Amino acid sequence: MKFQHTIKGLMIAGLFVLPAANAQESHLDPKLPEYKSVSGVTGNLNSIGSDTLNNLMTLWAEGFKKFYPNVNLQIEGKGSNTAPIALIEGTAQLGPMSRPMKGEEIAAFEKKFGYKPTEVRAGIDALAVFAHKDNPLKGMTMAQVDGIFSSTRKRGAADLVEWGQLGLDAWKNRKISVYGRSSASGTYGFFKDHALDKGDFRNTVKEQPGSSAVVQGVGADQYAIGYSGIGYKTSTVRAVPIGEKEGEFFEANYENALNGNYPLARFLLIYVNKKPNKPMDPLTKEFLTFVLSKDGQAIVEKDGYFPMPAEVAKEVLESLTK
Amino acid sequence: MKVSSKRIPDPKRFEVSQGTLFLDRLMTWVIRIGGMGVIVAVFSIFLFIFIEIIPLFRNADVQPSDDWAIAAATVPAKDAIVVVGADEWSEMPFVYLGGDQVIFRDKASKQETVVKLTELSDVTVRSVHFDAVNKRVAIGAADGRVGSFLIKYDVTFDAENKRILAPKATFEKWLDAPEGAGEVISVSYGDSGSDRTVISERVTEGKAAVTIDKMAQKKSLMGAGKLEVTGSYDVSAELSAKPLLVRSSPNGNMALVACDDGKIDYFFTEGRDKPEKRQTFQPFPNQQIAEMDFLFGGVSVVITAASGEQEVWSLLRPEGEDVRVFARTKTFPALPAGEMTFAASQRNKAFFTVSNTSASLRFSTTEKVRWSGTLPFVPAAASFDGKSERIILANAEGRVQILDLHDPHPEAGWQAFFGKVWYEGASQPEYTWQSTGGSDEFEPKLSQIPLIIGSLKGTFYALLFSLPIALLAAVFSANYLPASAKRILKPTMEIMASLPSVVLGFLAALWLAPLIETQVPSILLACLAIPVTALICGMIASRMPRTVRNRIEGGREWIVLLPVLAVTFFVAWQLGPVLEKLLFVYKDPSSGERIADFRLWWPQFTGLPFDQRNSMVVGFMMGFAVIPIIFTIADDSLSNVPKSLTAASAALGASRWQVVRTIVLPIASPGIFSAIMIGLGRAVGETMIVVMASGNTPLSEWNMFNGMRPLSANIAVELPEAAVESTHYRTLFLGAILLFLFTFTLNTIAEIFRDRLRNRFKLV
Repeated sequence: MKFQHTIKGLMIAGLFVLPAANAQESHLDPKLPEYKSVSGVTGNLNSIGSDTLNNLMTLWAEGFKKFYPNVNLQIEGKGSNTAPIALIEGTAQLGPMSRPMKGEEIAAFEKKFGYKPTEVRAGIDALAVFAHKDNPLKGMTMAQVDGIFSSTRKRGAADLVEWGQLGLDAWKNRKISVYGRSSASGTYGFFKDHALDKGDFRNTVKEQPGSSAVVQGVGADQYAIGYSGIGYKTSTVRAVPIGEKEGEFFEANYENALNGNYPLARFLLIYVNKKPNKPMDPLTKEFLTFVLSKDGQAIVEKDGYFPMPAEVAKEVLESLTK
Repeated sequence: MKVSSKRIPDPKRFEVSQGTLFLDRLMTWVIRIGGMGVIVAVFSIFLFIFIEIIPLFRNADVQPSDDWAIAAATVPAKDAIVVVGADEWSEMPFVYLGGDQVIFRDKASKQETVVKLTELSDVTVRSVHFDAVNKRVAIGAADGRVGSFLIKYDVTFDAENKRILAPKATFEKWLDAPEGAGEVISVSYGDSGSDRTVISERVTEGKAAVTIDKMAQKKSLMGAGKLEVTGSYDVSAELSAKPLLVRSSPNGNMALVACDDGKIDYFFTEGRDKPEKRQTFQPFPNQQIAEMDFLFGGVSVVITAASGEQEVWSLLRPEGEDVRVFARTKTFPALPAGEMTFAASQRNKAFFTVSNTSASLRFSTTEKVRWSGTLPFVPAAASFDGKSERIILANAEGRVQILDLHDPHPEAGWQAFFGKVWYEGASQPEYTWQSTGGSDEFEPKLSQIPLIIGSLKGTFYALLFSLPIALLAAVFSANYLPASAKRILKPTMEIMASLPSVVLGFLAALWLAPLIETQVPSILLACLAIPVTALICGMIASRMPRTVRNRIEGGREWIVLLPVLAVTFFVAWQLGPVLEKLLFVYKDPSSGERIADFRLWWPQFTGLPFDQRNSMVVGFMMGFAVIPIIFTIADDSLSNVPKSLTAASAALGASRWQVVRTIVLPIASPGIFSAIMIGLGRAVGETMIVVMASGNTPLSEWNMFNGMRPLSANIAVELPEAAVESTHYRTLFLGAILLFLFTFTLNTIAEIFRDRLRNRFKLV
């Protein structure tokens, strides 16, 4: 039943994402293996976790079901913080997260099972800073991003509250309206660690329950700025280029994410519960193999994120059979 | 008279049947049990929540566990060359006492494993420093070289899923000493993963020199590049006096040098440029620094004076400045003077500090001593394990002591929940709610004050809007409105109450908020114009000759008033922009340009921000949800005033208003009062409207034009992500208890008042 809901959400998401993705060239690595179905895969697979990966998980589920019509998949995406709890309680086999697990979460998992959760890299995201589509800003340094979002301003920027301070003379004295994610989200945590240099958010950041709410909010508010995974980009917003130094700004694209020029690139992760020295249960394993195949990575690109190079996918796959 | 005798009633006629009596008794018990059940249920809920929050207020528990003397200690440690540490499960602690061997000891088998470091074979180690996060031991040699080795544990699992640890110590390249340099008497190594900073102090022929070496390595998603030395800088000339002690922050972005005049020099080492001296500060007047080390996260440094006084200094940005400098944020009770040992937790802002044998576990955020006690020997080194569940101590003779530590909620406490706390990086103590971060280094900020203010603020704006409307409407409908019209009005109002609040919140966020944002002057004007027009109309009507007034049936005057008010509203709405041009003109301070825009004018005039998702939106929508409740209850109590009283009053010649004012309102006042209180309770507990429409910003401001985050919305937003039994989880329960106490107190006060009022008007 839940799956039908997600299909609906998927179709809506598809409407936004597909035209944008088709316009660009494909970065899919031709060396990625095709997915071959195996026999005897049935059962239920639950996924609880990241909102950033929610659409992606749904698309993967749909693709996976084409190979195995008898498999029943349920996907819930309230935020990365819900994934460790679900894995520990055993309510889900897959825990998609947009940030690595914290030591405390790993410790809680280990306390219950005696071993650590297994991390599976499943795609690449360039965490984008979105502004309204009519915003003429050329780019921002990380220090300026910090100056807008943070109260601690660890990167040493000035207190940036008006667009005029960023050099937009036409928007002088217009207050910057700041949108962000709620604290359950991994994107919130990742942004806090990497953009704010582990500082604190201002208490005026409007916390939204989901990535699409951030993008909607920014799209409807001319003087707004917000952040979310690049996969949620719509025509009402634009991703502002970012760089470490003034004048050296990098677009949030595949090359810059891969070579480390874009400072907010990250892996999209799926955590699973795998006993050491024991093979993983076939359903979970086949799903992850599908995700890391050419078909799975094509879906990553379709959803607006970036596919992984073949050698990374191979390495991840090998770690699962250990 | 046989017939009449037959009429004598059967005495049994007056007896109640057994069945009825039984039913009566049964129902008495059922009701009694049901009533008790409700009370028990409410108390159980209260008890459950209360039990959840009790552990928040408990102190730390520290117990001595394992202790032993190292058998393989062939090299007696010189001076203070002792390093102690453990793997994250504390299954195989290690001790390093200078020389070339690291001694590991398996907890279960009590077997010692010695790992040799060949690079240290012929080296005299003069100074060490341990970075517990990276498990890196920095080494300063007598020949002036500086190096480091890393402790690693390879984890494998056997067939029974039992963990097997294989300890390793890997030496990293030496950093060569400058020509003719003397021995290294103090060293410290910082490593952020991509940048490293090594600070070392060498003494050459009685002269001390401090060097900062920097290394960097480019990191991308696909892995790390080569580590290269980017510079070596002698900063001796910039020091304020003779150096005593050097420390690099764990992430390598700064270095501190304590000098023998009690001053500390702070060097900023981030980036690829020369280290920049940013500040010199003196924590204790006329005292030398005995110990100085960073807390987890590398933002705060704990400084202990030779006399035992202890303070925490944090890197922060003073109000109005952009450069971050150190400032005193906490002062702890003094330790006795003696040999100092220090260890910082790798989980939170706790630290363990020892002077001779008196030990103390302290927590920086709350400025509290969590535990204090006496140790069996004077340790030369201390360390927390990776989970902050154990503390390992060792002395130079190779004696080791393990302490079991149980302190799951050190961040909690009265001060943290209700007082101002000076958090790391903040320019002053403040009330802040920010419960989660993306890494372990995050310092949770758990003040309940912004949430309590959020609850009160939302309630206040909701009642400001709803109370006048609901109460006046109730008075009108109970006393003036003809019964035929009331039959339509009341159900309509009740339908209004049945609208789901999530729908109202959705409307508020996506429709009302953008609408209100641009039309604030129109709305203000309408709020003013409508009541004034109504009053003026009333005045005109009362001056009219009776013949004119009698044309309209009593209670149906609103038919005439309604179009007038509609026109007033329309005119006010249209005049809004005109008012904006007259009153709300923003003057650009630099260009002198004048813009008529309330959104710009408000922040300039009041100094308070203006936000699209603001309290006015929430107030309107929440008011909409509360109006039907207040109206219904108030209307019921007003309508229940005995007709005989109002009729008598009217017969004696009182006007309708006189009847309402002197008879109806006083008698119905207990009911009206409870209507207000129930409305208030509903507004305090309302969740979905606020979650969707307020932006959930945890502010401690009463400004009408920005958002809020009430207790109820906070629980709804954060409970799904809080790990069961974590501090965060229990703190949310604390919020629930506050909410409960809030409504409980309100209802109790309301009940007492209602009783008083009822007694007062009993005679009437």
